[in-house]
Amino acid sequence: MLDSVRLQAEDFSVDAELAALRASSLRMGGIATFVGCARDFSEGREVSEISFDAYDSMAVTEMNRLRDEAVSKFKLLDARIVHRTGIVSAGEQIVLIATGAEHRAPALQACSWLIDEFKQRVPIWKKEVSAQGESWITSHP
Amino acid sequence: MIRILFFGPMVEHVLQREMQLEFQFGMRLKDVAETLQASYPEAFKIVCATAVNQVQTRDMELALADNDEVAFMAKFSGG
Repeated sequence: MLDSVRLQAEDFSVDAELAALRASSLRMGGIATFVGCARDFSEGREVSEISFDAYDSMAVTEMNRLRDEAVSKFKLLDARIVHRTGIVSAGEQIVLIATGAEHRAPALQACSWLIDEFKQRVPIWKKEVSAQGESWITSHP
Repeated sequence: MIRILFFGPMVEHVLQREMQLEFQFGMRLKDVAETLQASYPEAFKIVCATAVNQVQTRDMELALADNDEVAFMAKFSGG
């Protein structure tokens, strides 16, 4: 069984992550997911790929802390957070947040809260690569 | 020694991911920041967060210990 919180270079399977989430409790009545993907266009430029750099050990620690906070704050039954590092081509998956609760409302609220907090608190940086050059991104759209 | 780490956009200014400074008794976080800022002023214009031993801190008066790990970081952009 893969860890519920991970950084990894390879792509992830949404189906496998949801199966792992559902296997954690038969009481789960609502599951929410967010999958962030690499866009092929940003700020007027065509983007071919995104390069991610991370402070791995601190990032995983903070991701686990976020998961624990979300489980407590929204009374989740389980949550999973997976983010890729290295090169991600346009169109590929970058990040998965999956939350499971007894009912839909806390699952949806927790999923939204987690991705917002993730962007603020987890030390990962993205660089967009295009034909015009490369640029580090510092905004949080 | 104090181990100093750089990531993402910081690396482009500092041109290395890691360096070491000799630990001196009474050393504070601001001492490390000021030393590096003098050498890499452009890099420190984009510093938005600082971590000591993988915990974020805004306390630049924080006393450091030998073998501490310090990271000066630009604004995060994962997700």
